[in-house]
Amino acid sequence: MLEIEKINVSYGDLQALWDISLKVGEKEIVALIGPNGAGKTTTLKTITGLLRPFGGEIKFLGIVMEKMAIHKRVEIGISLVPEGRGLFPGMTVLENLEMGAFTAKGRSCKDETLEQVFELFPILKNRKKQAAGTLSGGEQQMLAIGRGLMSKPKLLLFDEPSWGLSPLLSKVIYEVIGQINSSGVTILLIEQNVRIALELANRAYVVENGRIVNQGNSRNMLNDQHIREAYLGTESV
Amino acid sequence: MNWQVFAQSLLFGIFVGGLYGLAAVGLSLVFGVMKMLNVAHGELLMLGGYATFWFFSLYHIDPFLSLLPSAFILFLIGMGLYKGLFSPLAKLHEEVKIKNSLLIGFGLSLVFHNLAIRLWTADERSVSVLYSGWGFSLFGLRFPFIRFSGLVLATIVILALHQFLTKTYFGKSIRATTENWESAALMGINIEKTSMISFALGATLAAMAGTIVSVGYAIHPAMGLEWTLKALIVVVLAGLGNIGGAFAAGVLLGAVESVSTLFVGPYMEVVGLVLFLLVLELRPQGLFGKSIG
Amino acid sequence: MVEEEELFSQRKILFLSIVIAVFLALVPLLTKRNDLINILILIFLYICLAQSWNILGGYAGQVSLGHAAFFGLGAITTRFLWVWGYPFFLAFLIGGVVAVFFALIIGHPALRLKGIYFAIGTLGLGQILKITIGNVLPTVADLPGDYIATYNLIPRYYLFLILAGITVAAVYWISHSKLGLGMVAVREDEEAAKASGVNTFRQKMIALVISTFFAGLAGGAFAFYHVSYYHDLPFSPTWTFDALLITFVGGVGTIVGPVVGAFFYAIFKELFVRTFPQLHVFIFGVLFIVVVLLLPGGLVEMAGRIRRLLTAKKAATST
Repeated sequence: MLEIEKINVSYGDLQALWDISLKVGEKEIVALIGPNGAGKTTTLKTITGLLRPFGGEIKFLGIVMEKMAIHKRVEIGISLVPEGRGLFPGMTVLENLEMGAFTAKGRSCKDETLEQVFELFPILKNRKKQAAGTLSGGEQQMLAIGRGLMSKPKLLLFDEPSWGLSPLLSKVIYEVIGQINSSGVTILLIEQNVRIALELANRAYVVENGRIVNQGNSRNMLNDQHIREAYLGTESV
Repeated sequence: MNWQVFAQSLLFGIFVGGLYGLAAVGLSLVFGVMKMLNVAHGELLMLGGYATFWFFSLYHIDPFLSLLPSAFILFLIGMGLYKGLFSPLAKLHEEVKIKNSLLIGFGLSLVFHNLAIRLWTADERSVSVLYSGWGFSLFGLRFPFIRFSGLVLATIVILALHQFLTKTYFGKSIRATTENWESAALMGINIEKTSMISFALGATLAAMAGTIVSVGYAIHPAMGLEWTLKALIVVVLAGLGNIGGAFAAGVLLGAVESVSTLFVGPYMEVVGLVLFLLVLELRPQGLFGKSIG
Repeated sequence: MVEEEELFSQRKILFLSIVIAVFLALVPLLTKRNDLINILILIFLYICLAQSWNILGGYAGQVSLGHAAFFGLGAITTRFLWVWGYPFFLAFLIGGVVAVFFALIIGHPALRLKGIYFAIGTLGLGQILKITIGNVLPTVADLPGDYIATYNLIPRYYLFLILAGITVAAVYWISHSKLGLGMVAVREDEEAAKASGVNTFRQKMIALVISTFFAGLAGGAFAFYHVSYYHDLPFSPTWTFDALLITFVGGVGTIVGPVVGAFFYAIFKELFVRTFPQLHVFIFGVLFIVVVLLLPGGLVEMAGRIRRLLTAKKAATST
């Protein structure tokens, strides 16, 4: 579904990604793991169009995408749940969800999708009229995910879905992500909490210093010596 | 000085304050969406006034009737100006973007100022209609028809804008862009188009204020700077990006200025500046704004 | 800053400047033509006006939209003190000080916040001073009879020449000093400068003081030069426009830019004064927009590009 071939990305003069290549197949859950500042968020930003690569190619459903405008990428089925939620704090829960359905496709089945989101996150239904900025961390994450679903995406990207959440809440969120995947949405996620990511994902890529240094089946990676030492050694929360 | 003089002065201040508010809301809207400040905003107001003047002196169309056509013309001009001058700046880093937009607006105001002198001479103009002198009295206070209508009109426009921003999809997308443009883009919102329409809307609001000014007060080519400054002070008083508060702050400024004429006479302009400096010093986020982190 | 080093080597510049300065100093001895002297005075005035803005706006990156306020404050202070009998040079310097005082009133709250507040504040100061002076002193500032009787153009010429020279020298000194480096750091990336320990507020304030002091002096010279003018004339936003147009079209943040800009601006103004009185403003206004959008370095950058193009061509043809 998503094919990234040897892209390079810079912030001004500072190069952040070198020859990144990765693939995400339909209905898969793929994880990008690695230390802070390795370039995981940069990769997601490049997929969504917030950053433009030089050199290399990005293809989504066979469509070449590197020069496509951000809003167009949403229209063809990519949605991002940003780092730190990226909500519209002054707007209500309902309005945030409505914004998620801004595309023509989203609007056409808005009411139906809203019902589905409220089923998934009943607590959001209670807080419909509340300003998004006043929600708790967990509720905000649920809202961000719900909002991401409103555009009926084919590929849903997550940037650190467990960020700032308690272990219990993180578990809940990851269960939800699993449910979303079961309903047919392909998932690509970035995660600091390597264990929880690898336990859910089918495959994973390890990003270090702007390069892919390892990839493979997530079950294998959980057992991999190097990964255990580097990322799973200290299980502190 | 008795209460009647005071109240009358206050009333006149509120009338003109409504126009300050209308101009400021347009500016605030543009800033909220684009994060750029158009210091030629006052010139757009001036052009709206001159458009009304032209409709009246060339075709004898009543200013309240030509309000919408004038506003529409300025909407188109606004779109063109955005596309040509401000859109290229949109991709820049925040501080550079603001600085360059100040400069572009500044150059633009110069060009418009000169254009106005060329087209309409440097003389003051005013639209005089049959009912220019009409008014009514309430509680012993005089309500000149045109200035009062100006306030009513401004209020109606602001309420309509509020409905637009809260009940329509496009209006909500404008608010979303104001709050977080990156997330807005990730929703599928076309930021370029939204910015252009917002800028054009800002020009339209300015034009409507300009129409009232041409009928109820007077217009001249140098007025752009005065009105830009009023709008800027109001926007800072309300808090940068606070669209709703801008109208209230405008009325407040108008009222305070007018009343202070009674106390400090020819130094009344200084009051606005003093308010501005006080807000900067004590509450930079504005009277209605959230705390600056 | 480095670009200019490419264009002119330091020693060449110093030599050239001295030659020009000497030549200009000799002009009043070589000619009796007042119109020539007056146009040179106009050029010097514009140089001072533009360079003073350049220090704050070009080097420290703080856009002031009310330069006329400081120009006017210097003018009105100097005029009154001088006409009341105080020695001119005292009046002149106090004019500069008064300008700085008002600058600090705006600068103190505004420079701690984002640049936009300073722009609005200075715009406000300029506009409000103009209107208030126009209200309170709507008359013409006349010179007493004996002042007019003893009026001599030559000392005024030298005053402007020296003032222009000093402001150019000040810009040169700043651009080669640690102070200038600090200012440019603030201009380029204030957050980064703060993070590396630069006291950005202090840098901005210093630039503000220097800039507005010279603007005030320029105003004082203006008041010394003109026999009669409306009190609110030096507060007119036109002077702010002039400063910005000249600086940007010439090359903002450079030493030579405002000088070149001032020269052409004054010449254009005189050329079209009978046919299209405001044409020089219109032309520079359009050029200004072009510069901001496309050619940030102004004429100086353009000259640099042409030079590089010619040297590249020369290198290509000589092989």
